[in-house]
Amino acid sequence: MTDMKEIEKRLREEAKKLLESGRVSVVLAYGKGCDERHPMPFAAMKPEEADEIVFNEYCTPNLARYLTKYPAGTKMAVAVKGCDSRAVVVLLQEGKVNREDIVILGIPAAGMKEQKTGKDVDASLTCGLANPVLYDVLLGQEIKGAAAESPYGIISKLDAMSGDERWEFWKKELARCIRCYACRKACPMCYCDPCFIDQTKPQWGDKTPTFDGNLMYHLTRFYHLAGRCVDCGECTRACPVDIPLNLFHKYMARECEEMFGQKAGMDPSQKPAMVDFKVEDSDTWLE
Amino acid sequence: MTDFEPRILGIACNWCTYTGADLAGTTRLKYPQNVRVVRVMCSSRINPSFIIRAFQLGADGVLVGGCHPGDCHYGTGNLYARRRLAATKKLLEFAGMEPERFRVEWISASEGKKFAEVVEEFTGQIKALGPQTKFRMERIKTAEAAAK
Repeated sequence: MTDMKEIEKRLREEAKKLLESGRVSVVLAYGKGCDERHPMPFAAMKPEEADEIVFNEYCTPNLARYLTKYPAGTKMAVAVKGCDSRAVVVLLQEGKVNREDIVILGIPAAGMKEQKTGKDVDASLTCGLANPVLYDVLLGQEIKGAAAESPYGIISKLDAMSGDERWEFWKKELARCIRCYACRKACPMCYCDPCFIDQTKPQWGDKTPTFDGNLMYHLTRFYHLAGRCVDCGECTRACPVDIPLNLFHKYMARECEEMFGQKAGMDPSQKPAMVDFKVEDSDTWLE
Repeated sequence: MTDFEPRILGIACNWCTYTGADLAGTTRLKYPQNVRVVRVMCSSRINPSFIIRAFQLGADGVLVGGCHPGDCHYGTGNLYARRRLAATKKLLEFAGMEPERFRVEWISASEGKKFAEVVEEFTGQIKALGPQTKFRMERIKTAEAAAK
């Protein structure tokens, strides 16, 4: 179990130090929400605001999401947990942020809790990484021991289904979508402006929450996240109607890992799988 | 479903498959008319959303043709396309679509015969599968029912 109070203290100290020295102009961390259970993403911009930073077990949001919200070249510090750091790595790979512009404050986190239910975050629904893969400062002790289970274990029940059963499953789930776009807002990888679904020329899909439009939106989003999704599970946590979006994301991540031999966001020197190729890539993928 | 004539979207690269289709025509090879070919400059021009959208708008199958890997007119286009189309195939499969409805073939400009054979075989496959109803949009279904 991680000592949350200790991390909170160190996070405040680091934020204050960075803002006072002028190394960064924004520190992306967590702040007070309506109550203890609902901390919110918070951008500290003055040294005195550093004391408003909060960290507890409900701090699940992925702050890498906000890196692309600031103009290019803004000096930022960002507090990241395991999966979040992978998102930062993908953003670095894709050239959305520069390494020299950001200070990564790594948080080794275990025992996070769901804001909605107050229960522990289901380990099978996240990438299972407790320690950040890339950081400048590590706040707290590195967590020893490997993940208890494979991040892809949960999709075996869908693998076992026939095509028609899977279709019925996704049809039922996606039909409930109300198109609030919370999944897109929560996703660190969804930075396109405009999003394909907001375009009118061409209009890729219906914007009303009908099943046909939902299918187009979600399938294309699943595709756009292929080989980039870092499996933080934020989309699923953000979803107000509890669609298990990350089952599909996990599946795409697993297939891409198997086919292209690399996991998203593990190594900043790699190119993302979908903008890269190998001459010896297999044609059997297409059969 | 004996009188079922599938509607198949063919997306062909300008330099290989489209020229190959041309060759099939000029050599007077017979192949089913079910494939409507759209020409793109390269198979990497294909946005995977084209394929999902085609299924939504009433295609029963999608056939993508490109140059053989290594033979791309632009050098590396089809090598990128291979990864994208492979991911698209996996995506369709996991969503519950029959994977046989989406096919990628590398057909060079000199392979008119292969083009005719692929179209023949693919059309037969789709005929056996029957109409694609899963992705087809409600309004398309209504319009089709009204046109009958």
